[in-house]
Amino acid sequence: MAHYAMVIDTRRCIGCHSCTVACKVHNELPVDMIYNPVTTIGPIGVFPNLHMVHIPLLCMHCENTPCVDACPTKASLRREDGIVWIDETKCVSCKACVMACPYGARIPNHGKGIVQKCDFCMDRVDQGKVPRCVQSCHQKARIFGDLDDPNSEVSILTNKHHTVRLLDELGTKPSVLYIYGLGGQMR
Amino acid sequence: MSHKHDSWGWMLAVDFFFAGMGGAMLFIAGIADFILGAGNTSVLGNFIGPVFIAIGACFLILELGRPFQAFRVFMNPKAILTFGAWNMTFAIVLGIIFASFGIPVLPWSGLTVLRKILAALCIVLGFVVATYPGVLLGRHKARPFWNGPGIMVLFFLSSLVTGAAAHILCGFIFGESSWLVSQGLILDASGSVVLADLPHITAIFLLFQLIFWVGYVWIKFSGASEREAKAAQRWIHGDLSTSFKLGFIFWGTIVPMVLLIFTQHVLQIVGACLAIVGGMIMRYLAVRGGEDRTWLPGELKYRSKLPHGDEEFMKVFVTQRRTDRC
Repeated sequence: MAHYAMVIDTRRCIGCHSCTVACKVHNELPVDMIYNPVTTIGPIGVFPNLHMVHIPLLCMHCENTPCVDACPTKASLRREDGIVWIDETKCVSCKACVMACPYGARIPNHGKGIVQKCDFCMDRVDQGKVPRCVQSCHQKARIFGDLDDPNSEVSILTNKHHTVRLLDELGTKPSVLYIYGLGGQMR
Repeated sequence: MSHKHDSWGWMLAVDFFFAGMGGAMLFIAGIADFILGAGNTSVLGNFIGPVFIAIGACFLILELGRPFQAFRVFMNPKAILTFGAWNMTFAIVLGIIFASFGIPVLPWSGLTVLRKILAALCIVLGFVVATYPGVLLGRHKARPFWNGPGIMVLFFLSSLVTGAAAHILCGFIFGESSWLVSQGLILDASGSVVLADLPHITAIFLLFQLIFWVGYVWIKFSGASEREAKAAQRWIHGDLSTSFKLGFIFWGTIVPMVLLIFTQHVLQIVGACLAIVGGMIMRYLAVRGGEDRTWLPGELKYRSKLPHGDEEFMKVFVTQRRTDRC
């Protein structure tokens, strides 16, 4: 069974937010909901040695899922391929998962009375396509694939580079890995 | 529109407050009955305990995005919220049956063994209902103010304080309704040693509450991580500090502690009321204290730049959308 993961190369990301927009359009999100924010650290340093790092954030599709464990309705689920998703027919928006998620990846949709989140565009993944944010990233900063396949790009990158997981100390084992570096290093 | 990170609201704090108070009332009534026998807490207090838990459950339902599908929260036995929901349900049902033993005209009121079994169940269920909000919050790894077992103790202590205070008030109200006792309609609790000593016991609980809360905030402030210290800052110097120090510590803990030491009924009633108000303030502050997650790199800066919804362009945008829909 596959283990879908995403590698985000912060050296490539220029903070254009096209992934944010593509995600919003694909998932038809209301104006106040964002699955894919891109945060910015910096500028760091002293002129002329200034750097900036952009960090795209999304659901980390953790292996140890505090959100799934907290869900009292069994609406939050983790597939065998590692994709964490919400069965909207069962969700009652108790916000237990919103509070349990360390990454702020779950957002209540007050209009629908449910909680929603990034699901790695599983409708597209099931058709053999990549998530919309990956497709829209013209800098190729987002790489999606099967971590269990040694020939996949995500496996090669994780073996080649030192990757970090956000809030790794919490033991959630995220499936989103970051190659951390200052912007502009890949010119 | 609001881009602030959505979190639990005041209704959950009210649920924690009522459920905790009701659970502790069951716990106290159960212990009094199991060890000392019937008639040691007022029938009114015994009935109101499960009613408070039910009121708490109603607020929990109202907090949901889809309240009419509230039955779904009973579905996942591994989730602590499901565990809490089942416990509250059992506590409400068994608590009311247990309280009904205080009405001598009912045919089952003389079944002592059954009453003792129910009292034992009320001790367990009351303890769980009073403690589980603390367990629920303490398990949140990324909420630095909640994380850890300490919050569980604080919630149980506050539940004991509010539950005991509610029993004191019910005892006084019960005393005014002594005609029901003389008519033989409810069990007499006027000579109860538990009700007589409860104000002093509550004062001791309040002293523990004071020590534990000051210790908890201090440990968080000087504790394991920078995140915890930052979270505790809100309680010491930040937006929660006035409500915490003045509302909860002074008016909700120290003043009632002093008042409950005295034997005058008026002072005890005022003290019990203040202790209950203090419990409500504490629940509200505790829920608000968990709003702050461990922020990810650059996240706070990002969120601060998002519109709040009251900007002119947002008003135009929302109006335009409404017009388009029409």
